Amino acid sequence: MNENLYLLESLKHSSPIIQLAWGLSSIFFIIILMLIMYLKYLRNHLRENEKIKAKYQEDYESYLVTYLYSGNEDDTFSSEQQLIINELKKCVADPFKRKIIISTLLKLRNEISGEIAESIDKLFIKLGLLRYSLAKLRNEKWDIIAIGIRELTQFKIKGVHKIIMNNINHPKREVRKEMQLYLVHLYAFKGLDFLNVLETSLSEWDQIQLLEVLQLNNDTEIADIRPWLKSSNDSVVIFTLKLAKVYNQFEAKEELIELLNHKSEDVRVNVISALSHLNIVEAKNILKNNFNERSHEEQIAFLKMMENVYENSDKPFLLEHIHHKKFEIKLFVMGILKNINFEEYALYEVELKKMLTA
Amino acid sequence: MNTTTLQIIMSIVHYFFFIFSAVAITSYIILAVISAIETIEYVKKNSFVNYKEILSSTFSPSISIIAPAYNESLNIVENVRSLLSSHYVNYDVIIVNDGSKDDSLSKLIEAYDLIQISHHINEHIKTKPLRKGIYKSTNPAFDKLTVIDKENGGKADALNMGLNISKNKYVACIDVDCLLLEDALQKMIKPFLETTDAKVIAAGGVIRIANSCIVKDGKLLDINFPKTWLEQGQILEYLRAFLLGRMAWSRLNGLLVISGAFGLFDKKIAIKVGGYDTNTVGEDMEIIVRMRRYMEDEKQKYKVAYIPDPLCWTEAPDNYKTFISQRNRWTRGTIETLKKHRKIGFNPKYKSLGLLSYPYWFFFERMAPVIEVAGIIYFGILTVLNEVRWDYTFAFVILAYLFSVLFSIVAIVSEELTYHQYKKKSIGFKLIMIAFLEPFVNHPYILYSAIKGNIDYYFYKKIEWGTMTRKGMTKA
Amino acid sequence: MNNTKKIVLAEDNSVLSLLLKFRLEKEGYKLLIAVDGKQAIELIEEHNPELILTDIMMPFVSGLEVISHVRNKLNTQTPIVVFSSAGQEEIVLKAFDLGATDFMSKPFSPHELVIRVKRLLI
Repeated sequence: MNENLYLLESLKHSSPIIQLAWGLSSIFFIIILMLIMYLKYLRNHLRENEKIKAKYQEDYESYLVTYLYSGNEDDTFSSEQQLIINELKKCVADPFKRKIIISTLLKLRNEISGEIAESIDKLFIKLGLLRYSLAKLRNEKWDIIAIGIRELTQFKIKGVHKIIMNNINHPKREVRKEMQLYLVHLYAFKGLDFLNVLETSLSEWDQIQLLEVLQLNNDTEIADIRPWLKSSNDSVVIFTLKLAKVYNQFEAKEELIELLNHKSEDVRVNVISALSHLNIVEAKNILKNNFNERSHEEQIAFLKMMENVYENSDKPFLLEHIHHKKFEIKLFVMGILKNINFEEYALYEVELKKMLTA
Repeated sequence: MNTTTLQIIMSIVHYFFFIFSAVAITSYIILAVISAIETIEYVKKNSFVNYKEILSSTFSPSISIIAPAYNESLNIVENVRSLLSSHYVNYDVIIVNDGSKDDSLSKLIEAYDLIQISHHINEHIKTKPLRKGIYKSTNPAFDKLTVIDKENGGKADALNMGLNISKNKYVACIDVDCLLLEDALQKMIKPFLETTDAKVIAAGGVIRIANSCIVKDGKLLDINFPKTWLEQGQILEYLRAFLLGRMAWSRLNGLLVISGAFGLFDKKIAIKVGGYDTNTVGEDMEIIVRMRRYMEDEKQKYKVAYIPDPLCWTEAPDNYKTFISQRNRWTRGTIETLKKHRKIGFNPKYKSLGLLSYPYWFFFERMAPVIEVAGIIYFGILTVLNEVRWDYTFAFVILAYLFSVLFSIVAIVSEELTYHQYKKKSIGFKLIMIAFLEPFVNHPYILYSAIKGNIDYYFYKKIEWGTMTRKGMTKA
Repeated sequence: MNNTKKIVLAEDNSVLSLLLKFRLEKEGYKLLIAVDGKQAIELIEEHNPELILTDIMMPFVSGLEVISHVRNKLNTQTPIVVFSSAGQEEIVLKAFDLGATDFMSKPFSPHELVIRVKRLLI
């Protein structure tokens, strides 16, 4: 005791910098202790949570499967189903359990289609989960809004697009993306109308997602893509070029050829690849004539096109470029020549070997 | 020399040490805060990502995994199997056998039904020549696999060969003994596809330590905590570096290094800058610095991304000998890279790269151990001369110690809040224990190997393949 | 009851396999559930089922390797139905090259699966 007092006393008389150091040390020490206690709590909590979660999940999975196979022939609910609904409804009030229920429903919903899928969507509404999802749309946090939209998408809740469209200009791209996915998931090509007004750029990642979602849809009615090819938003144009490829949009031939003179190189390269995919031979002659003015990327894209649509008459053009200074181009040219004429190729082969060993 | 000048010199030295420590600590705190904010944001955003579409799309870009191997016979078949089991669709695997003296190649040929094929190599980057040639599998289940057998040229040279062979848009350069989780590629490719306002030139991932973990058939089955202090200390060190450091640097777009164990690159740019440098032991850091420098010189907007998810697990040294030689190599790699690119340092032309990243690396990574040892020697001299003010010494040693413990514990807390990989009951206590012990059990060795690295660099320049003796991961 | 037909189902989604087990057992089949390809191969070797249903994307040993194992290593002609996701056409083609009998694209209707299973097990 006395000694402690003595230490404190001597600290009082020491220089301020030492006092500061000890002060900081005490603060650090206290924070360390608090963090250790927090860690202990956190680890226990997380571990318990995981166990409970696995348990609930298992329960809900078997509830769900029983529910799905105990329905009546007509659309009414059987008594067994009613029992399960009541049981689950009790759980829905608890946010932790609610989350697990939703994830269980989704785990199955995402993998199947047909009657059972519809039956799951109905259960979603019946359990009152829709109310919670809609409430999320009014939340202030962007991540909650996005979760809300996603739930509506996943359970195919139509008819709320007006509320969802309010987020078309949301500052967070995650929210905008969820909105776009909702529209395309539920309304397929009609949902793509947002492209008309889209000002932000559509990343490659977004494009891939939208394309995949579109392809899930069996709706064969394809929108007229031509207006989007003229969009001032380059990313929309590139996305539309992908659409043209996937849905073989020969109708847009003229618009596509026009795009060969687009100001963005990225667009031009993509157009060449789309034209090549659609086997539009007219484009070949246009490109052959101004090959040298085009960028390296465009030249490569064009030669890839040529690989599919070469003719005997292309030989002079190819021979002209057989000594191109870029190895990659040379390789392409030789490859195509080889396809046109095997015997002559033997000569080029010798030359290629020479070049490689040089 | 009279007393007053000596005193002046001494007080300058004191101020120098004091300011250096204060700046170091402040920068650690700032980085940690930025990291925390950034990690929370990342985890939140990531919960919205649906990776399923990218897996099935014909528009998902092509990736080559390039894995150089040198005398890896023990585990090569297993390791390749793990690389082949990625969930990404549009990818292939290029194993570059860099003149191994063991039976790696024949093992691969047998396990994967390989046959030799002919292939034109577009030699963008000059490399050592092929030895036996290029192999592909006859079994369609393994048609993603290409094995290249070449003359020995070192890791960088092997990676360059891979860059020449790859036909894909992106390349993932990894260590062959790394355990790559199945969703690693789609997570790593995301920033490249998602960023619209800048060009992403490379993305780095987190490296986790697989020692004592149970791995079966190329899959991580159970995460355990290793027994030795050395391994535990490294786990803590990695948590600190990846959770509290790199995330912040990626936010500041100032990442100077992507771990050689797992990084994804835009192939075109990697080739344009000439590939990996074969004259350094720090080729993983050097290529990033060179790519960044190239983008700055070209005045293109670019980014080096970083993915904090635990995607790549690797075996860390479990004995002091290999540990010291690994750190020695890292030190030399850092020195060589910083020296080669010293033009960047403190050069306003390179903006934050030159004014922030480079100086930070120079002072707090490159120089820190040297300054620390100088401080210890100075302290020793003062003790001999009986000039030590013990009240100051105690106050500051304890302060520094508590700070380092606190920093480690903050790293542990952020791990628990984000990824919570060490779920088993007793590990929490062990993690805290090692946070207290690490300054005594690991730090001295780190310091020693850094100094040794400096000495080796200046007195015996040597380049070698990391000769880490492979013991293999625990088999289930 | 020796004529109960056995089906091995390899699927990593627990609730989907539960649903299919329920559905197919109702039709009088015996279902053996594997959570990954490795387990599936073990079950196939042990029970020699009449039909194999396998997801194409599974942890570690993929559906492709299961097919390859059944056709090349075990040398049996047990019908194999693979489940694929949208856009995995290329892998499905590979699965057919390796000897798959039929495929179903996820999301699929369990009802349709039953019809196909019945047709294969007549």
